[in-house]
Amino acid sequence: DWTAEPVSTGTTIMAVEFEGGVVIGADSRTTTGSYVANRVTDKLTPVHDRIFCCRSGSAADTQAVADAVAYQLAFHSVELEEPPRVRTAARLFQQSCYRYREELSAGIIVAGWDQRRGGQVYVVPLGGLLLRQPFAVGGSGSSYIYGFLDATFQPGMSRSQCQEFVARGLALAMVRDGSSGGVIRLAAITEEGVERTVLAGSDLP
Amino acid sequence: TPMVTGTSVLGLKFQGGVMLAADMVGSYGSLARFRGISRLCKVNDSTVLGASGDFADFQHLRQLLEQMVIDEELLGDGHSYSPRAVHSWLTRVLYNRRSKINPLWNSVLIGGVYNGESFLGYVDMLGVAYEAPSLATGFGAYLAQPLLRAALERDRIPTREEARELLERSLRVLYYRDARSFNRFEVATVTEQGVELEGPLTLEANWEIAHLV
Repeated sequence: DWTAEPVSTGTTIMAVEFEGGVVIGADSRTTTGSYVANRVTDKLTPVHDRIFCCRSGSAADTQAVADAVAYQLAFHSVELEEPPRVRTAARLFQQSCYRYREELSAGIIVAGWDQRRGGQVYVVPLGGLLLRQPFAVGGSGSSYIYGFLDATFQPGMSRSQCQEFVARGLALAMVRDGSSGGVIRLAAITEEGVERTVLAGSDLP
Repeated sequence: TPMVTGTSVLGLKFQGGVMLAADMVGSYGSLARFRGISRLCKVNDSTVLGASGDFADFQHLRQLLEQMVIDEELLGDGHSYSPRAVHSWLTRVLYNRRSKINPLWNSVLIGGVYNGESFLGYVDMLGVAYEAPSLATGFGAYLAQPLLRAALERDRIPTREEARELLERSLRVLYYRDARSFNRFEVATVTEQGVELEGPLTLEANWEIAHLV
């Protein structure tokens, strides 16, 4: 029964790069077995001012790793005397996820903006490899939308096109995947800052 | 346990050097999840390495190799690791990991040219290591190796163009028959002059026989 199941962020998560930043999005359902433990979860977790991670897999594992990385980044940022790079954050995630790959169940997308390389999306899936991609998708719901994403993605989309792309993808996945649902949380990260929005009920595409 | 994996890597010695080829997909089980990754890497000016198996472990190997090459350059004695030395080192690393029951889940081909001599070797996660004029990992060992060996019969050494054509033909057979393969690929060629990496290239498939059925 559900008390014996691990708490998982079943999930669909996405991140897309555009000129000047990134758009990230996630659903809001956390499950223990088939019980919805939290229907308004926030899976878009800041690890620094302009760097976020999208968490999928075990809720405990991803929260623990994200907390550790946030600490390491804060320390590193003080030493550097400037905001850390997105690539650094992604590398820190990878180091934990690869070292403890046998014990962890964590599929993470790291996305953000830095002065050096602008908007960047990095994926650290199960196994702990690190890869930069123009867009990334993860979580159990992602399987259902690979076709949609392959057919619809265009390089060089604008910020609003990216937001629409992410929202539509997530909406489709949330319908088909039992482990994904609730509301769509979006965030746009640019030089100016982070703008968060929530798409609920009738707002969903 | 492997998560994101690469399939076959092919290797062939030719007149004047060695050639490695591999497709560019990272499979997550049956899902072709990452379709543009490179599974070939340059170790130094005389050696290339191609890996199949877990991609995270391959990235780890790449880091180890990069550090080793840097450490060696810092010695500043003009020497660089020969392909044979890299192969030997890798065999030790992989065997010791397997002996701790924590293997790096890869099968690796090493190709290179050193002092005018071509080298082509194989090492895998168990620490099994050998050399031959033609090699393949994964599915390639069953489907491509016979094709490669046929061309090398009677100690014949193919020309560079023949080798290239043979590797491409073998990759095409693998694309038809290996369910975890993809039609985008890369080729690495090592000669006395150094290392050349070509790619991404695309394989053309022939489906004419479909009409005959």
